[in-house]
Amino acid sequence: MAGIWIIAETREQALELLGAGRSLAPEMGAALTAIVRKEAGPQEDYIARGADEVFLLPELPLDQPFGAHLQVIEQEAKAVSPDVILFISSARGKEMAARLAARLGAGLCSGCAALAFDKASGSIRMERLAYGGAAIQKLTASAKPVVVTVPFRSFEPAQPLNGRQGKTRELPAPPPSAVRILEKKPKEKVAKDISEARVIVCAGRGFDRKEDLALARELADALGGELGATRPLTEEVHWLPEDLCIGLSGVQVKPELYVGLGVSGQIQHMTGVRGAKVVCAVNRDENAPIFALCDFGIMGSLYEVVPKLIAELKK
Amino acid sequence: MPTIVACFKWVVDEAYIRKGSDGKLDFSAVDYKIGEYDRNAIEEAARLRDAGGGSVIGITVGAPDSAKGVKDGLSRGMDQAFFASDPSFKDLEPSQTAAILAEVIRTRIPQYDLITCGEGSSDLYAQQVGPRLAELLRIPCVCFVQKVSLEGGKLVADRRVEDGIEVVEAPLPALVTVLPDINTPRIPGVKDTLMAGKKPVTTIKKDELAGSFEGTLKTEAMTASSLERTGEKLAADAAGIARFVDSLRKSGVIR
Repeated sequence: MAGIWIIAETREQALELLGAGRSLAPEMGAALTAIVRKEAGPQEDYIARGADEVFLLPELPLDQPFGAHLQVIEQEAKAVSPDVILFISSARGKEMAARLAARLGAGLCSGCAALAFDKASGSIRMERLAYGGAAIQKLTASAKPVVVTVPFRSFEPAQPLNGRQGKTRELPAPPPSAVRILEKKPKEKVAKDISEARVIVCAGRGFDRKEDLALARELADALGGELGATRPLTEEVHWLPEDLCIGLSGVQVKPELYVGLGVSGQIQHMTGVRGAKVVCAVNRDENAPIFALCDFGIMGSLYEVVPKLIAELKK
Repeated sequence: MPTIVACFKWVVDEAYIRKGSDGKLDFSAVDYKIGEYDRNAIEEAARLRDAGGGSVIGITVGAPDSAKGVKDGLSRGMDQAFFASDPSFKDLEPSQTAAILAEVIRTRIPQYDLITCGEGSSDLYAQQVGPRLAELLRIPCVCFVQKVSLEGGKLVADRRVEDGIEVVEAPLPALVTVLPDINTPRIPGVKDTLMAGKKPVTTIKKDELAGSFEGTLKTEAMTASSLERTGEKLAADAAGIARFVDSLRKSGVIR
């Protein structure tokens, strides 16, 4: 029997991956195996939500990273040869997926946005973005296994079903990893999650000084929205937290309204707002790429335009 | 004195890709560049060398026209370069790139302490080559690093994960993939460009490498995505502002 594996660090990840796995399993006639950290929740729940089998990853000593489980997972995979192995594209998920794929000599589709089984050819069909979002790459895998990472929030979490039964097994403790954790520094301040915001005002490089971001905040308040940022603002000048970075390598957003202030419209960033209903821009450079990628754009300095906009909105 | 290997890729500058009238990607006006993230990998290698001595070996895989990228890389702080060059080394899968890099390192660089890679390539951004390469070489890997130092035969790195920072250590030799905010890559000056031409480059042809480097996935199509919108341009005057706000109200996005 064919097999689909999901490998998760957290319960949230596991439920989404089970959702993804269940979208493939019936067509493939495959059994679904959930490989999750023992601390991540009751195994009965994973079985109720579609897992035919649960492998529990034992709790690790504090100095051991998630990647330490790789060796045991590799051995299990070599023993039963699953067809598909799914991960969430989190930092740890991406690293383990690539390392596991290398050990298994397998293909890996990173950041997979669409996933289907083609019964006629017996192959998995996948889609992902390339060239900073300018292109859609369509891939197939006919050799097994194929490893896939899917962005968080791209599949609905699997819901519980009635009368489900399955087996559970605890995997052996792995040998110590060469990489040791010396210290964990949890995030000090978790910025607001903008992935579900209805309105986003995004600040770009057109702002001259950090203090001027107050203008963007004021417009966001006037529109009942949240503040977002382009990568240079979070990564280069560190004016805003990285959680607010919108784009291919940051958060993908789908607001009703996106307003880019001083945002030039680089493809990597605009790919992150492709799900927005209305995209607007204010930019003083009339040749900025964003004018072709927005619905309405005002050509002018954000310093002049934004106060006028706020005044007009308050009318 | 550490030997640091910096991996980089000469890629299409995606800003110049156009969408053809047939919906296909139009590469006719493109320029090429060293991937943005790979510049951080080269810079970090150069920074570690400048701080603690040693040397930086750059390595890339590509079609023969990537030679321009090799010279570019040498102007950005590498001391010498290995270039695996073959007409077939174009549009490779990450698994193939990693396998070729591993073969070059195994056979041409007998001793090294650290390998630096970008967090992903600017073209495919699959983020696989670094961790795959570490596995093929059987060395520890630490991905998504925003700070790294070498001391006493090991590295200490801050790696960024969803829930915060993990400070980790690993014995050398090891591989790190670096995040863009780890450093600010230098911009080569005229002198750097002139010097680059004098630095040693070893070009390696496919038949000088053992291995078939077969792919594992098949790219069926690479099509243009559509991000274009209606793009109504408005002036920054009273009429433009009024029209802007009115349009948003009419589309129902302002409540």
